[in-house]
Amino acid sequence: MAPPDLPTAGRLVRLGFADAEAGLDGLAELGSSAAALLPVLGRAADPDLALQALVRVVVALGDAGPAMLREMEADEAVAWRLVSVLGASQALGQHLARHPEQWAQLRDPTLATTRVPAYAMRASLLEAVGADPASEEPVATLPDLDAVNALRVDYRRLLLSVASRDLAHGQGLDDTAAEISDLAAATLEAALAVARARVGEAASQARLAVVAMGKCGGHELNYISDVDVIYVFEPAPGADDAAALRAASQLAAQLMQVCSDQTAEGSIWPVDANLRPEGARGPLVRTLASHVGYYEKWAKTWEFQALLKARPVAGDVDLGRRYVEMITPMVWSAAGREGFVSDVQAMRRRVLEHIPRDQAERQLKLGSGGLRDVEFAVQLLQMVHGRTDETIRAGATLSALAELTRGGYVGRDDGDRLSQAYAFLRTLEHRIQLFALRRSHVVPEDEAALRRIGRSLGLMGDPVAELDALWRHHRREVRRLHEKLFYRPLLGAVARLSDGEARLSMEAAGERLAALGFADPQAALRHLEALTSGVSRTVDIQRTLLPVMLGWFADTPDPDAGLWGFRRISEHLGRTHWYLKTLRDEGEAAHRLASVLGTSRYATDLLEREPQGVRMLGESLAPLDSETILAEMESVAGRHEDPEDAVRAVRGVRRRELLRIACGELVESTDIALAGEGLTRLTDATLEATLDIATEALRRQRNLDEVPTRIAMIAMGRYGGFELSYGSDADVMFVHQPVPGADPQRAASFAQAVITEVARLLALPATDPPLEIDTTLRPEGKNGPMVRTVESYAAYYAKWSDLWEFQALLRADPVVGDPALRARFTALIDPLRFPAEGISEDDILEVRRIKARVDNERLPRGADPHTHLKLGRGGLADVEWTVQLLQMQHAGQVEGLRTPRTLAALEAAAAAGILSEADAATLADAWRLVSRVRNAVTLVRGRPAEHLPRDSREKAAVARVLGYPPGTVDELVNDYLRTTRRAHAVVERLFWNEG
Amino acid sequence: MGKQEDFVLRALEERDVRFVRLWFTDVLGFLKSVSVAPAELENAFDEGIGFDGSAIEGFARVYEADMLAHPDASTFQILPWRDRSDGGPGTARMFCDIKMPDGSPSYADPRHVLKRTLSVAAEKGFTFYTHPEIEFYLFKDMPTAGEEPQPVDRSGYFDHTAQSRGSDFRREAITMLEAMGISVEYSHHEGGPGQQEIDLRYADALTSADNIMTFRTVVREVALSQDIWASFMPKPFTNHPGSGMHTHVSLFEGDRNAFFEAGAQYQLSRTGRQFIAGILQHASEISVVTNQWVNSYKRLIGGGEAPSYICWGHNNRSAMIRVPMYKPNKGQSTRIELRTIDPACNPYLAFAVILAAGMKGIEEGYDLPREAEDDVWSLTDRERRSLGISPLPKNLWEAISIAEDSELLAETLGEHVFDYFLRNKRAEWEEYRAQVSAFERDRMLPVL
Repeated sequence: MAPPDLPTAGRLVRLGFADAEAGLDGLAELGSSAAALLPVLGRAADPDLALQALVRVVVALGDAGPAMLREMEADEAVAWRLVSVLGASQALGQHLARHPEQWAQLRDPTLATTRVPAYAMRASLLEAVGADPASEEPVATLPDLDAVNALRVDYRRLLLSVASRDLAHGQGLDDTAAEISDLAAATLEAALAVARARVGEAASQARLAVVAMGKCGGHELNYISDVDVIYVFEPAPGADDAAALRAASQLAAQLMQVCSDQTAEGSIWPVDANLRPEGARGPLVRTLASHVGYYEKWAKTWEFQALLKARPVAGDVDLGRRYVEMITPMVWSAAGREGFVSDVQAMRRRVLEHIPRDQAERQLKLGSGGLRDVEFAVQLLQMVHGRTDETIRAGATLSALAELTRGGYVGRDDGDRLSQAYAFLRTLEHRIQLFALRRSHVVPEDEAALRRIGRSLGLMGDPVAELDALWRHHRREVRRLHEKLFYRPLLGAVARLSDGEARLSMEAAGERLAALGFADPQAALRHLEALTSGVSRTVDIQRTLLPVMLGWFADTPDPDAGLWGFRRISEHLGRTHWYLKTLRDEGEAAHRLASVLGTSRYATDLLEREPQGVRMLGESLAPLDSETILAEMESVAGRHEDPEDAVRAVRGVRRRELLRIACGELVESTDIALAGEGLTRLTDATLEATLDIATEALRRQRNLDEVPTRIAMIAMGRYGGFELSYGSDADVMFVHQPVPGADPQRAASFAQAVITEVARLLALPATDPPLEIDTTLRPEGKNGPMVRTVESYAAYYAKWSDLWEFQALLRADPVVGDPALRARFTALIDPLRFPAEGISEDDILEVRRIKARVDNERLPRGADPHTHLKLGRGGLADVEWTVQLLQMQHAGQVEGLRTPRTLAALEAAAAAGILSEADAATLADAWRLVSRVRNAVTLVRGRPAEHLPRDSREKAAVARVLGYPPGTVDELVNDYLRTTRRAHAVVERLFWNEG
Repeated sequence: MGKQEDFVLRALEERDVRFVRLWFTDVLGFLKSVSVAPAELENAFDEGIGFDGSAIEGFARVYEADMLAHPDASTFQILPWRDRSDGGPGTARMFCDIKMPDGSPSYADPRHVLKRTLSVAAEKGFTFYTHPEIEFYLFKDMPTAGEEPQPVDRSGYFDHTAQSRGSDFRREAITMLEAMGISVEYSHHEGGPGQQEIDLRYADALTSADNIMTFRTVVREVALSQDIWASFMPKPFTNHPGSGMHTHVSLFEGDRNAFFEAGAQYQLSRTGRQFIAGILQHASEISVVTNQWVNSYKRLIGGGEAPSYICWGHNNRSAMIRVPMYKPNKGQSTRIELRTIDPACNPYLAFAVILAAGMKGIEEGYDLPREAEDDVWSLTDRERRSLGISPLPKNLWEAISIAEDSELLAETLGEHVFDYFLRNKRAEWEEYRAQVSAFERDRMLPVL
């Protein structure tokens, strides 16, 4: 090699040295070789580091130093192997400074082309500890500490070769990872030899196999990471079982120590045996039969997923092989196990559940778009399709991905890109770890490190910026691809996609849909076909949207209904310009749409009638306040002359708001009290607007200048208590007051007409759920007049009223109509319902008697008293009657009890010491749970029900709305029964005065 | 389908099995069986066999009658008394888990009650082992209403009599049990005439409960084949000892006995002491399950081997819980013996409530009360009270009343079983209460 120009500071800087002064000093140490080696050093990841380390090796070699330099000068390949390692790995540089003679490892010219075979690594490491590689059970003969140190030193010597092939010869990631895995296997073997020496004679009692799992098992290990293993043992012929167990346990424990112990030569890596049956709690070693027994009986799906990569690597190879042979069929039959679908879904959620955003940013492994995303997705696809297809069972992620792509389970383009992204991210991880030989999955932040890593990847121009750009690109690719990896090929089964897309067969698509929880995969495929066939722009958007939507449907209790609903709404709205755009651009809206459609028939029905509601899903779903709703209702009503049209417009607003509250409960778990309040306020506004419209219409109809009377509505029952559900009627009473000078007769007739008109307008056939008005709680019930004056109410209550009517008044809340009139009515009833001295003993007995009769008569024949929501044991009526009895007794004294709301009254009663905090909490828990179930049932079924559902699918959906994980339906039933049983015990005591 | 299912299907083929009985247990502990042809079995493994749950004692309310029995392939056994020696077609059985149509386990299934309780303990790192000693009587004939039953012999405890029917019987029963993979540890003649005891080997509680169900069936089958009648009734004779099912229990953490602590008193660890304390504390609450019949309480009044008081002792045969003598170097076999339980219980529920009571003691860190060192029977009421020893429920009604308020029992059994079980027991008591007994007639008719 002709010596180029003499090194100058400027030249050094141009080559990439950071500290030119130190560089020149260093070069001086290299003497005459400096000029020839400078260009090589300039290509190193970190030229300063490479030069310093080289100088240290030369010094350490002493007399042999110049010879090494001469050889480097003569053979650029040798020089580059050494320099590339020294420039990328501080740790290996330090190692070489301590053991300079090992540089010779890099002289081997075959390194450029040939991988060090696994058996050679095994032999080398065994010999290093003084064990005989030819022996069936090699035992280390060096003194223990020497053996442990020798193992570390020789391990790093072999690592030098691997690193140099990786860094200097542009070896692919898969080969590097495989070589590291081979080296790990050889190390485990040598460590076992040392362990045998430690255990001594007893070691021969057991045959022990080390089976690698995880990355080592998959032949895709990192430079530094935990090595996952499982141990299998069998007693040696003639050995006692207990002795064998003891020996095997000792061997296994010692092996782990040999690898992980920190000595003068450092440590190698931790060996992790926690993937074994029963995890860290289970015995460290098991016999083959015990392993098999465990997996047959207890193992969970994720454990089978871990077994995908099991591979015998050390110890008794024959035993290890038998283990893998026994286990493999189980892995592939796992997909047929019960619970597989829900397990897969849980695993899929784990893929999607990322660590917090702030940490995720620089994480290679766990963050969104990280390595784990790819690995999980690939393994999942293997589990689903590997059962029937033996050609996709490779252990290594990249090989498996290639097989899946070849098999058509993953689109060709997607597969290629994912593969590139994975290889890049893994290589990046390797380079980060190589520097200090430390386990790390975090991309460093300091400039120098980024520069070194960038240059080691061949980004010589602006390493930091280029590295950043590349990393971002690949991470984005992973994020983009892995989400749809599972779903996109499903479209390929039914639609004609561009070349390079996977063409999943109908069978495979059905299999995958079934694994996702679709009960009728054939119907689902038909929906997909309908949504994606054609060439319009709409279809294009659907094709990008559906893979993601499918994933969301899979998370709902009824994926089939979700997809079917989506098809109907899409067919309805497909051409509307904003529809698909909203879904595509506002991910949240699409996600919510999917979960609403797959859960609730009530909301799906509303959406079908009001497809515009899809827009709302992108907004906040908290119930609006009544002023806002009323203002909007009045303004839409004002645009219509005809009262029927005006009320229809008002009801349109109501329909939309019903949808908002329903979706709020479904996707944001709006608190039950808030939902009840929202529904009540919505009813207030609707009645208020309708009352105005009807009053005005009748005024005009009767040619009056002024209305002859003021009208107000009093909310009663659940409506009065702010506890409306989706299907509830609105219980109301009407009161009116003729304006001064008006003819009372005429005023009454006018009021009567208005009320009739209100009821008629609200009951007109329309596309929104009807708002039924129930007036039977009025004085004299169905026989009494629809509307009375305050004076008439006063006269009636003074003369005729029964106790139950006062009880009903507890929940009376004048909310709609003339404010002054409402206040007068409240003033009238307060002394009646909150008597200052409470009610008499006789009255208490009377309340109990009525309840006993109601319990007996109202419960439908054949109804189950345990699960009847309203009248069941510890159900709504039990709690509410108890609260009402306390109110009638104590509200005269306790201000806080004067409320129509059940929960508020309970709180006030507890605060006043009328009942214990514990009893109040028990009653409130039951009331909340039953109310939540009642709302959930209506949302799921689309119509109200009196019972906890009996149909198992409905029951499952209700459980999901209430936040129970899949497959725990009977747990909801059990919780329901327990909560209501406890409430019932309190009711027995407080209401019935028993027990 | 897993390997075990494959194994079962192969075995059916090889052994020429024509009928497979799917076994499960109702809430009261009666064995239920449905036969399927081998051809249907594959489907049963995948989807379960549908049946009408409302027809089974305690399983379902009428409207949600659809239930599925899922055979547990690991419990597959050929029934030896059906296995024809001429090589003809045989019969096999498997225990089932009961599921809802959506695949979630049914809370009404006693096996699930035990599994659930076991898994709660497993989350804390414990596995539960039991070792039942089952006593029963052999009678000459099928019972006839109103007639005093005749025991097969007049021997006593550990008696060896030449050619006694009892020992023939035991030999054949044990052979058959062993043929079904149930290991027997001891067997001998018990104290009462015709009374036998057979001890099953240690097993995890689920297997053990399955084994008890099998055991009761095998014993009855063998008896029938010898023209005698076997009964697990807790107290068939006023004047002879009742039949109990003393049960040794222990907890393991991994492969370490959690009750053992070298050097502690009786080598009993803190966990062990707390476990005992838990059972003592909740003994009255779980009594309705461990001793579920009107007749069970007649055994508990009788003295002898049956306890009436809530206490523990070391080698004290009058105590409810006995801590057996520790055998050196047998740390793994440290255990405690619960002496209330009788063989007419539902073993799944009984083991579940015992475990739950013991675990409660561990979780809450109950202190173990003082050991009872004397023969508790011989103490006066006042002495017992001053020692803090309270009596067990004296009859089924007391047990029911206490159980009704037990959160532990409700939590363990699940609301459905809890509710059903107590309802059923109340009905049993009401029916019993209305009976006019021979005792009353014998005493009163002559004098009143």
